[in-house]
Amino acid sequence: MAAAEAKKLSKKRKAAPEEETSAAPPPSAFPQEVRLEMASEDEGEDGDASSDDGEVDEFPEIDARSDTEDEEEEGEDDESEEEDEEDEDEDEDESDASDESLHVWPKPKTVVSDITGQPKRVYPDIEPDYDSDSSTEDTPNRVGNIPMHWYDDLPHVGYDINGKKVLRPARGDELDKFLKTVEDPESWTSAFDKNMQMDKPLTAEELDIIRRLQENENPDANYDPYEPTVEWFTGKGKEEIMPLSAAPEPKRRWVPSKWEKQKVMKIVRAIRQGRIVPNKPKTASAQPQFYAIWNEEPSTGPAPPPAPKPRLPGHAESYNPPEEYLPTPEERAQWEATDPEDREREFLPQKYSALRLVPAYDNFIKERFNRQLDLYLAPRVQRTKLRIDPDSLIPKLPSPSSLRPFPVYKSLQVPHADVRVRAISVSPDGAWAVSGDESGVVRLWEVIVGKEVKRWTFKSKIGAVEWCPRTDVSFFAVGVEDHIHFIIPPNLPGPVLTATQNILAPANLPPPPANPSPVKWSSVPAAQSSSDTPILTLNLPSSPEPPKQLVWHRKGDYLASVSEGQGGVWIHQVSRRHSQAPFKKVKGTVQLVLFHPTKPHFFVATQRYVRMYNLAEQTLLKTLTPGIRWISSMDVHPSGDHLIVGG
Amino acid sequence: MASTSTSETTHPVVFTTQTPYPLPSQKFMIPASWKRYQLSQLVNKALSLPKPIPFEFLVRGEILRGTLAEWCAEKGVGEEETLEIEYFESVMPPQRMSLLPHEDWVSSISCQLPGYFLTASYDGALRIFDYSQKLVQTIPAHAAPATSICVVPSSSAPLTTTPDSFLLASASHDLTARLTRVDLSSPEQPRAETLASLHLHTAPISSVAATSTHILTSSWDGFIGLWDTAIPENDEVPLDETVGEGQGRKKRRKVAGGEDGESAARPKRKAPAAVLKSHTARVSRVIFGRGADAKNAYSCGMDSTVRTWDVENGVCTSTITAANKPFLDLALTQSGNSALAASTDRTVCQYDLRVASSSATTPSVASLLHPATPSSVTVPPPVSSPSTAAEHQLVTGAYDGVVRLWDLRSTKGAVASFKAWDARESSGRKVLSVDWARGLVGVAGEGGVEVWKLGEGDR
Repeated sequence: MAAAEAKKLSKKRKAAPEEETSAAPPPSAFPQEVRLEMASEDEGEDGDASSDDGEVDEFPEIDARSDTEDEEEEGEDDESEEEDEEDEDEDEDESDASDESLHVWPKPKTVVSDITGQPKRVYPDIEPDYDSDSSTEDTPNRVGNIPMHWYDDLPHVGYDINGKKVLRPARGDELDKFLKTVEDPESWTSAFDKNMQMDKPLTAEELDIIRRLQENENPDANYDPYEPTVEWFTGKGKEEIMPLSAAPEPKRRWVPSKWEKQKVMKIVRAIRQGRIVPNKPKTASAQPQFYAIWNEEPSTGPAPPPAPKPRLPGHAESYNPPEEYLPTPEERAQWEATDPEDREREFLPQKYSALRLVPAYDNFIKERFNRQLDLYLAPRVQRTKLRIDPDSLIPKLPSPSSLRPFPVYKSLQVPHADVRVRAISVSPDGAWAVSGDESGVVRLWEVIVGKEVKRWTFKSKIGAVEWCPRTDVSFFAVGVEDHIHFIIPPNLPGPVLTATQNILAPANLPPPPANPSPVKWSSVPAAQSSSDTPILTLNLPSSPEPPKQLVWHRKGDYLASVSEGQGGVWIHQVSRRHSQAPFKKVKGTVQLVLFHPTKPHFFVATQRYVRMYNLAEQTLLKTLTPGIRWISSMDVHPSGDHLIVGG
Repeated sequence: MASTSTSETTHPVVFTTQTPYPLPSQKFMIPASWKRYQLSQLVNKALSLPKPIPFEFLVRGEILRGTLAEWCAEKGVGEEETLEIEYFESVMPPQRMSLLPHEDWVSSISCQLPGYFLTASYDGALRIFDYSQKLVQTIPAHAAPATSICVVPSSSAPLTTTPDSFLLASASHDLTARLTRVDLSSPEQPRAETLASLHLHTAPISSVAATSTHILTSSWDGFIGLWDTAIPENDEVPLDETVGEGQGRKKRRKVAGGEDGESAARPKRKAPAAVLKSHTARVSRVIFGRGADAKNAYSCGMDSTVRTWDVENGVCTSTITAANKPFLDLALTQSGNSALAASTDRTVCQYDLRVASSSATTPSVASLLHPATPSSVTVPPPVSSPSTAAEHQLVTGAYDGVVRLWDLRSTKGAVASFKAWDARESSGRKVLSVDWARGLVGVAGEGGVEVWKLGEGDR
């Protein structure tokens, strides 16, 4: 490659073989510059070397144009060219070498210094004569230091000092070139110098550089890649005696970093999932990064209002205020007790007899810090003061008298020794109460006095008592064991007693239902009935526990009973003397049941849910979840719209 | 004395009295630190009474309880103002006289008959005790708990001496009131005969009251029955209409004491002369007016009203409506101008009967606060000699077993109180009825009957 280039160079030089004699040493003598020039020409002619000459004119390079003149001559005999060039180069090599010794950079000498004992370079002294400065030398071509390609298309190469055209020196034809290559062995190492307008032999140094480039070596001959190591900090005598750290080499120094792997894998995953777009267009670049703030027009709006003038200091601010401005101990205590935001003044007047006794401002740092926070626009807790009368926030309570009646006082207490009373019911007119205890005693009480009027004794504990809500008749139901007893209280007026007996023990029994239920209704005839024994008894299916709840429908015809176990819910109709179990199977144990006061609805409370059934259509209407762990009480408002559940 | 008066603040005082122990009407300078005891000693020494008599002192209508200075500070009376202090003989502390044991609760007691106590018990029997605690007669008048008893005064003789034969009216849970003729002419063999049963009410009868001509019964059904005292010859009310056959037969058997089938032994069924209907809830008590006011009747009920009735015409002439005060008992003061009503909100209220009540609720004149529900209230019977003290006094019995003597001039606290039956339990035993006559207070209730000596009595 380098050889090919060298040939090209020599080819150019053929254009001005005449100027070779007057060839001056190259204007830039040191090897780097030469090399650079050649590199620039290399680029232009690279294509040339690999292809034929026909394409040369297509290159827009300046050098190519300068060659166009030559082409007319060169186009004829290509094959002879190379030999010519070789000859020329050989000639010029010698002259170059002589030139170099004369003019080019003075050669340094390497001597051993007397002082240091080290080798040093010594440059020859510059003799202050005419030859010492190359600028004073005559250049054979006196067109000046101009780009020579200006004149590539012209017959002359410039102008001399008198303004005359300097004509291009005539160059030998191809035959001369050929002959030159034959005759002159140096010719192939010479190149055409446009400034000199002649072929100039390459110096040995330049040839050496070419050779080095060709061999991919460092072009600087003086560069030694194998210089001995200068041990500035290590080596013999420079060992560190005290280690900086005795700690063993940590593992992370040689184990691949997991953290980095995780980080990388995170990014990789993000790229895979599309969260990170690798070559995302920068949207922010649309906006200018800098603004020329002074280019804006000055605002024409009204000037901002001036800052309020600070209040002039008064006597209280003085370091030596009059006595009357000093706070009393009570005022001081009150000032210290209030919050800083609420204080009327942010300081307390203090008295010093002399200004030099005034101490440093104690809040200085705090105020300065707050100022910094302000400048930093740091948000701080801002306490908005409420200008509300706290009394207005208190909801207005109704007066207790308007809420009456409510229980305020335990009027009566009837202690029962050794027995628990778990069932009580008050008669519809409120005059009587009936209670049942676990020893099987049912007592009738006169409510206002708290006197037991009558008692009935049963065999086992009373599960529930419930007074019939009807007012035209008067009786109550008692749940004991597997029975529900209906009892008429004593001292009833005649019509009520008769009506009650007719309901509970009618003279003509209603026809038995089509499908008989397991519940047996047995009553004592009205004539033999008394208030001492139950007039009517229901025999429920056997159950270990007595019915735990009895509840009447508001109209007093239906009675629902709840016993333990499955199928423990029964609805009894007194007028038809018929019982039925409304549910085949109920999820969970039934705690309570309740009749809706107006609609044919039935509430069943299990431990956690309240279910609402329509008895007429036999459908489940709603399931209420009150969120109570164990429902223990339930009632419905007499209007039938609201249900209250307690647990 | 002089030294103390200089050191202490003194108060100008003028003493007045209506007792037979007047002080000269001049101004006294009384040390402000003096209490009732010092004042009483002053009066006793000034009059040089042979036997010391304790006095109570009324300052502007209030009984003096603390020192004079405290009273002045409370009322804001200046030191220079002359106070008019009235004094009267103070009530002796009550003394227990006797205990009349009963097996069941006693719902009512009457001391109106001199020499005898009449009780009505929850076992349905009426009992007559004389003053020597001897049970004279037990009358099984009722099958159900008897609630009230009173003596029907005979028109010929006033109730100053005990006649040999007298008529008793009793009320019961069995929906009837009964008239029983008691003959005590032969002490060895007293006789009692139930003459008539009063049939009107469809609920237990709460009280019965009687004059020589009329009987009033009040019932839980809200009606008040007015009856005359004449014993009918025949049944005025058919049997089957009111009572079912089984129960009726049984009751008759009990009442008649085994004399089956004899129509003479069976009490006559009596119909009311009039029915007073105005109460909207249970009527708890009905009483007649005193003396000349006997043509009026007064009743109280659970509907928080006190009503005045014109007995002859059977109309309600005025109504006192209280707010949320179901009344349990009623009594008239001696003057007959105001009514004392006991309410379940633990107050005994005094209402002025002369005030025409047009407003929705009538404010009470005075209200006596009780720690427990007052069940009964009574006033001392009118005495011939007008006593200022008795006019303002009343006795209440409450469910905590405490009987309290009040003076209406001092409504803050009871003048005296005692616990009946020495109640061992802290809760006490309920007092259901009190009656006060001739210095004797009969207390009936859970523990039977106790008689206490209270007031001026037969001194």
